[in-house]
Amino acid sequence: MSSYLFKRMFTMIITIFGVSVLVFMIIHLIPGNPVNHILGDYATEESIKELEMRLGLDRPILVQYFSYMFQAIQGDLGTSYITGYTVVEEILNRIPITAQLALYSIIFGSITGIIIGVVAAVKKNTIYDQLAMVLALIGISAPGFWIALFLILLFSYQLSIFPISGYSGFYSLILPSITLGLGTAGSIARMTRSSMLDVIKQDYIRTAKAKGAGSYRLIFRHSLQNAIIPVVTLIGMQFGYLMAGAVVTETVFALPGLGSLIVSAISTRDIPTVQGLLLFMAAMIIIVNFVVDLLYTKLDPRIQYE
Amino acid sequence: MNRKRFVVFMMFIDFLLIVSGCNRSKETDANKGKDREVVVGLVSEPDSVDIHRTSSTGEANIPLYDTLLKLDNDGNIVPNLITDYEVIGDGKEVIFNLKEDAVFHSGKPVNAEAVKLSFERLISSSPFSTNAGDIDSIEVLSDYSFKITWKDQFAPFFINATTPFLAPLDVSVLNGEGEGFEKNPSGSGPLKLVKINRGDSLVYEPYKDFNWESQKPGFDSVKFRFIPDEETRILEFKKGNVDVLLNVPYQYIEDLEKDSEVTIKRVQSDTLSYLGWNNKQPIFQDVKVRQALALAIDRESIIDNTLNGEAQAVFGPLPKTVFGYSEKIETMARDKYTRDIDAAKKLLAEAGWNETNKDGVVMKDGKEFSVELWVDDDPANQRAAQVIQNQLMEIGVKINIAVKESATIIEQTPKGVHEMLLWSYGWPDADVLNFLLFGKDKSKRLHYENEKIYSILDKAAIEMDQEDRSKLYEEAQEMLVEESPFIPLYVKENVTAIRNFESFDVHPINNTIEWTSVKVKE
Repeated sequence: MSSYLFKRMFTMIITIFGVSVLVFMIIHLIPGNPVNHILGDYATEESIKELEMRLGLDRPILVQYFSYMFQAIQGDLGTSYITGYTVVEEILNRIPITAQLALYSIIFGSITGIIIGVVAAVKKNTIYDQLAMVLALIGISAPGFWIALFLILLFSYQLSIFPISGYSGFYSLILPSITLGLGTAGSIARMTRSSMLDVIKQDYIRTAKAKGAGSYRLIFRHSLQNAIIPVVTLIGMQFGYLMAGAVVTETVFALPGLGSLIVSAISTRDIPTVQGLLLFMAAMIIIVNFVVDLLYTKLDPRIQYE
Repeated sequence: MNRKRFVVFMMFIDFLLIVSGCNRSKETDANKGKDREVVVGLVSEPDSVDIHRTSSTGEANIPLYDTLLKLDNDGNIVPNLITDYEVIGDGKEVIFNLKEDAVFHSGKPVNAEAVKLSFERLISSSPFSTNAGDIDSIEVLSDYSFKITWKDQFAPFFINATTPFLAPLDVSVLNGEGEGFEKNPSGSGPLKLVKINRGDSLVYEPYKDFNWESQKPGFDSVKFRFIPDEETRILEFKKGNVDVLLNVPYQYIEDLEKDSEVTIKRVQSDTLSYLGWNNKQPIFQDVKVRQALALAIDRESIIDNTLNGEAQAVFGPLPKTVFGYSEKIETMARDKYTRDIDAAKKLLAEAGWNETNKDGVVMKDGKEFSVELWVDDDPANQRAAQVIQNQLMEIGVKINIAVKESATIIEQTPKGVHEMLLWSYGWPDADVLNFLLFGKDKSKRLHYENEKIYSILDKAAIEMDQEDRSKLYEEAQEMLVEESPFIPLYVKENVTAIRNFESFDVHPINNTIEWTSVKVKE
């Protein structure tokens, strides 16, 4: 187990390093630079040069990269060119909202998806199965901004149950979490159904049934527990999707999270903020997937890491 | 999962629901806010509240600052923090006198020393330091009097001093590195910052020591909420959670006007939208081609089809609200460039574009007149680009629309890699013709070269007599109308929707909320 952990940690570091190179390359390759944004239309050639020097953008690209990484390793992700806040400060300010949003979405998506998937598998080829799969398909394919506006119009504007936008505690995150979690629920429902159908065909299920196991025990104890491994893998992978989805959801619901921060940072070419955020998000996704891998051993004792 | 665990899990879900119920009641109370709270809905958050750092001034950071001079409702420069000034000799030196009762939010007086320190920080750290001109020295003459000496005369200083970029701020709140204003700002404007909720809102209270023009402030607090999504912003206003909606999207105005509780305020913007091109490209070298393009444009059709009629057509280089505007020039340009397709086709033919291919595109030496038009991702601008595309096609000019991010257009156009662009500019003084549009080595987007115009604009920038200065700009504009290096199109109406106010004014020239006039309905 410890050698496995060591190997995984090593690959995680390599992956984060790879991501940092990629992010750095992309942000410097796209047209537009922060100096032009800051100085706008009224810049002179001297003021552009002076600001580039002040921000360190006049240095060779490799020097910029290594100096950035040297500081990043020490926990300093730099200071925003635009706002003057440190990137760590910006992340710490906004992470609670995005983290809550991701957590509630995962909880909503997993519970809804597993229930729909189980119903579809147990009631295979019935109207319930077809209805469940249509719902799953809608969840996967409906665009986030459309779902968000639909939910706002119905539950906030017409029925006045939830606030329309902004952050004011758990209650204000319910609609955003549903918006973000619907896609996850759809994917999980489909995966749960197919995984359950594989398990239901197994001999041990027939044996359990022959021994008189009740339907509740048969479904949840014998079938779902064995079918859950691919579903858990999918939940881990959905974390990346949620980070991307948060960009749209936070914009529509005016939530001050990481998603809305990255949108404004990209449009202003705020290099330290974009780099810092992408690096942070990549690290989070890698860590979540690592935790998911470790969870397998708890869910299925037959799985051992040597 | 056994039955016991399942029950525990369901209890957890119940707990979450109960918590959510509690939060809801809290939220409802919070929404009530203070009795006379004004909630303003804005699209985006300013980069910074520090005027020496930000590139985006707007309603959410402007009220922190009081300006040295100000514009009255007719656009005249009048005293504000500066009561009077005296131009000495050839105009390189000016003595300014400050009023003696102005106080920063920190409680310190706005005196000559504070203004000097503020200018020094502006010059050393602001990207907009050029707005102060090339300052040689600032001398404190007494507590409330100071002298600025420029290396060359700088006539635009007085109009620039009406903008918050040159407004004094209290540098004593800064730390050793000259930073920290972001978290502890101190200007002398009508609103004092109470709280920054990054990404969400800025909360202000009326500053008690501000000159409220013999009245008490008509509100207790102001919250600027940043709601980037258009639909969400409108719904918040319709629901009553937002009292002031700035920059109302044009498609919603009609709907809001039907609501008897809502008042719509319209103020003409000082930002001129124009159709420009890279004048260095061979295709635009012939003045007849440039004039033909101008004659093919129907501004009213663009305004009606893309902005629901909420804009004013402009034919001359400067809009009405800008110093240097001339009614004579506007009329002249209108007479010359009111849409005339036959005249435009004739001019194109005279310029050698007299063949037409099977698609109806004019050709010269076997090459068709086809150019790429850059436009940003604003939906209204994209619709305008489509109307322009159709209008120019009527004279056989083919336009290929390319949508680009603003950051890309800002970076790429000074390099001259573009052909045509739909863009805008906004500045309260005609010096914008010099430092942005047509000055020597300053024509970043239009790349226009004309020695005569350079010389007139340079003279105007150092002419301290405003009447003579105005005449010089008129001369320059007359040449620009004839040369047609770009096509001015329109200035949009800035539309603000308000609800529950006894009084609420927006400044007719600089488009900002006049906080001294704001009074919430009791």
